[in-house]
Amino acid sequence: MPRRPPIGRRAALTLALWLGALVAGLAIAWRAHYVADLSAFLPAAPTPEQAVLLDQLRNGITSRLLLVAIEGAPPGTDAAGAAAARADASRRLAAALRAGNLFASVANGENAAWADAGKFVFEHRYQLSPAVDPARFTSAGLRDAIDETVALLGTPAGSLLKPILFRDPTGETVRIAEALTPARAPKSEHGVWVARDAPRALLLATTRADGGDLDGQERALSAIQSTFDRIATPGLRLVVSGAGRFAVDSRERIKAEVERLAILGSVVVVALLLLAFASLRALLVALVPVATGVVAGIAAVSLVFGQVHGMTLGFGTTLIGEAVDYAIYFLIQARGGPGSSERWQRESWPTVRLGLFTSLIGFAALVFTGFPGLAQLGIFSIAGLAAAAATTRFVFPVIAPDGVPGAGFRRQLGRFMRAAAAALPRARWAVVVLAVLAVAALAASPSPWRGELSSLSPVAPADLAVDAALRADLGAADAGTLVAVSASSEQGALASAEAVGARLDRLVAAGALQGYDSPARLLPSAATQARRRDALPDASTLGSRLAEATADGPLPASRLAPFIADVAAARTQAPIERRDLAGTALGVGVDALLVSGAATRPWRALVNLQTKEGEPLDSERVRAAVADVPGARVVAVKAELDAIYARFLAAAEWQGALGAVAVLGLLALRLKSVSRLVAVALPVAAATLVVLAALTLAGTALGILHLVGLLLTVAIGSNYALFFDHLREQAEVDSDTLASLLLANLTTVASFALLATSHIPVLQAVGIVVAPGALLCLVFSAALLGRRGAVRGVGAHGKIAP
Amino acid sequence: MPMRLLPRQTDSLGACQAARRVWLIAGAALALGGAATAAPAFDLGALTTLLGRVRSGEATFVETRRVEMLDRTLMSSGRLSFRAPDSFVRETLKPRHEKLAVDGNTLTMSLGERSRTMQLDASPEAAVIVEAVRGTLTGNRAALERLFEAMVTGTAERWTLELVPRDLRLRGQVQSVRLSGREATVREVQVLLADGDRSLMTIEPVAGPRTP
Repeated sequence: MPRRPPIGRRAALTLALWLGALVAGLAIAWRAHYVADLSAFLPAAPTPEQAVLLDQLRNGITSRLLLVAIEGAPPGTDAAGAAAARADASRRLAAALRAGNLFASVANGENAAWADAGKFVFEHRYQLSPAVDPARFTSAGLRDAIDETVALLGTPAGSLLKPILFRDPTGETVRIAEALTPARAPKSEHGVWVARDAPRALLLATTRADGGDLDGQERALSAIQSTFDRIATPGLRLVVSGAGRFAVDSRERIKAEVERLAILGSVVVVALLLLAFASLRALLVALVPVATGVVAGIAAVSLVFGQVHGMTLGFGTTLIGEAVDYAIYFLIQARGGPGSSERWQRESWPTVRLGLFTSLIGFAALVFTGFPGLAQLGIFSIAGLAAAAATTRFVFPVIAPDGVPGAGFRRQLGRFMRAAAAALPRARWAVVVLAVLAVAALAASPSPWRGELSSLSPVAPADLAVDAALRADLGAADAGTLVAVSASSEQGALASAEAVGARLDRLVAAGALQGYDSPARLLPSAATQARRRDALPDASTLGSRLAEATADGPLPASRLAPFIADVAAARTQAPIERRDLAGTALGVGVDALLVSGAATRPWRALVNLQTKEGEPLDSERVRAAVADVPGARVVAVKAELDAIYARFLAAAEWQGALGAVAVLGLLALRLKSVSRLVAVALPVAAATLVVLAALTLAGTALGILHLVGLLLTVAIGSNYALFFDHLREQAEVDSDTLASLLLANLTTVASFALLATSHIPVLQAVGIVVAPGALLCLVFSAALLGRRGAVRGVGAHGKIAP
Repeated sequence: MPMRLLPRQTDSLGACQAARRVWLIAGAALALGGAATAAPAFDLGALTTLLGRVRSGEATFVETRRVEMLDRTLMSSGRLSFRAPDSFVRETLKPRHEKLAVDGNTLTMSLGERSRTMQLDASPEAAVIVEAVRGTLTGNRAALERLFEAMVTGTAERWTLELVPRDLRLRGQVQSVRLSGREATVREVQVLLADGDRSLMTIEPVAGPRTP
């Protein structure tokens, strides 16, 4: 063992700095806020329409909606009996959930559940009814309204009206109800909602917990399940879907996935290191930059984003695979006694550093994709790789100046690599043929770039299908269109919603629109309420007009004293405010459509458009109709989401191209030779083309993540080409260097291959591109850049490391 | 991706349940129509076969309603038409213009400039009355038997079909619908509500019955 020089001041300073940074990083990582919600998969919003949409997806009340279905049949029941059992379970489940405090509302189609809302509407009918205006309370208006109401009597609907007939002869309650009635509603059977095309009862529960409060969502979900288990007849099944369900499930999946990837990634890397060194000390030393990198990555993400997403940690396993490469290069290549680490710093570090820079460029592209989740991955990898490389460069010469002992199977690896490097150049034409075939296949195939935003979602397609089915049953199937109005105050938003409503009424009358939901129907603006109040005549005026209006009519004025009293009372009634609706079904309806403003966010009212069945909505016509309402925007949900994705894909293509150009520029700076640059770029380009063609032929829908994967392939794969180029410059190549190259490649390929097995689409998409891409880059580099004669020559008399 | 989780009409579904009932039933209660020709009938099978031969028809109607709370009987009149398999329109011309159109599961009610569209099966009370009339006019035995206990009395020349809702919940609202007619023509529809109110609609075919 050669004598080790004493640790100098400079070395001591290096160690102190490193340890200090490590401790600080650990402290930040320890205190970091770890999350696993779905919003990381949503892009940042570039346009106001998209801001409305994404705001709703993240924070809107719909993120609090849970769709509940009861399916199955108790043993020994026929179809009718099973339906009755499901209806009974629906009623009992709804009653039990309403009794608890986890849900703002539970709807299952029972009328009784809306008694409170009905009472509120009735008591405030002269403030809520769209029909209330001065003309309504003239003799002619009263006569007309009473005739209309009387026409309902003698029908089943009339039975509901009769108890309030003498208090509401003009039918204001009916008018309000009419305006609130959705055109598409679930089928009703045995008094509860059921699906039309499947034997299942349906409920709609709104949690009190926010959509983003995953613990609250989880409590709500388990309350539904445990309540169902308690009340349901054996044979019945519970199905729950909705945003909260997806979010909670995804969190579980991401957690499990991160653990799996971290464990497998560590096992693979440890196994490879043991294979390479067969030494525990070597293993521990090699893990130092890896651990430093992981800590640095987490700390950087936490500092930049204020939180760390579980998916970022899952992706971090690839960092293990990459960061360990630096250790491998150093520990193997810097062996050889005193001064060897200085020699490594001089001869090999520039190449490693160049490889680091190309990788950093690749990951930098992630930072600018506009998806917070991907930006985290980028920051994590950049900080992690830089820290790992710096640790290798500055700390290793202090703690392991002579590399580490132990050869493991490196000799065999080196020999294999040498043989491969000697043989592969003979197959260089095969590489060229493969690349040409890949180009031909790509030219002949339809574009594979057809990924959608939803392809980024970790929600399983089967779960989405269940969700779509339940939504269809509940009459809320398709992504629709809404008009969003922004204002600086609640009253402003409501007034704008009313202005939009007035314009939409014309479209409804013209048959261009089925109907719409507006928050102003449940909570009219103060101005509208005042206008309606002012339309109400005083008792004596009303009495005399009523006498005229009812002359010869079926309803004698003498019985309508309660009506006159109620109108008189309404003239002094306090206006309805939002807090009056709190806790009622109407409050839930308003919350869904009226989004409270904050310091940085305007008040927003959402008006949902209902299209005619089978007729697409003419968005342009709606846009033209509401164009003169300030702050009104028409948002077509599906179109906007598609536009968001298309925009990001286009941006990502530019970023990918820029990234590739940056990598090339970096290589050109270093290589200072066009022919060498071309030589280095060729194997990487061929590998990228082959991977792209293979994925295309396999029918994979490619999206942003695949593009990111391709860029990473270029960034990481160019390292191997560089090394072969570097080796070409050297007089002799030792097997250890070749072995280190193979090992570094294997750790990278293995860690990305693990990602390819992930159930999280974001990770899977990157893994499935980079794993084969990196491997092909090594093989193609060996084939195109290896010098048959030279490598063989070196092999014949070159150094074989001990 | 929860992209389909934007606020939809689901939010206000429940709140509007009662409302919808009121409306559906309102229009639906008034439904009826008539036409036809053919052979004698003693049971439901024979009657629906007879009625099913008529694919479409038009008629006028006069309806009287007795409502316990009102001092006098309500009268209305208008036009009816139907077309197999599942379209039915009732247009009231007097005392005020109203229109009720059913097509499959879609129910559209128009009053002046206002018009509402709803789904029939979302409101079983309305479906009971619509189906009693539409199912009888089109001879849809399956639809009738699914919803009602049906009893036919009389002969093909002069028959009466008594329909009682199977669902006890619905029977709490609509006690029975009794249709009577001659041959393949429905001439009278009588609705008896659980609260004692009743309506009687008499039907007069206008154009002769059309058989394909």
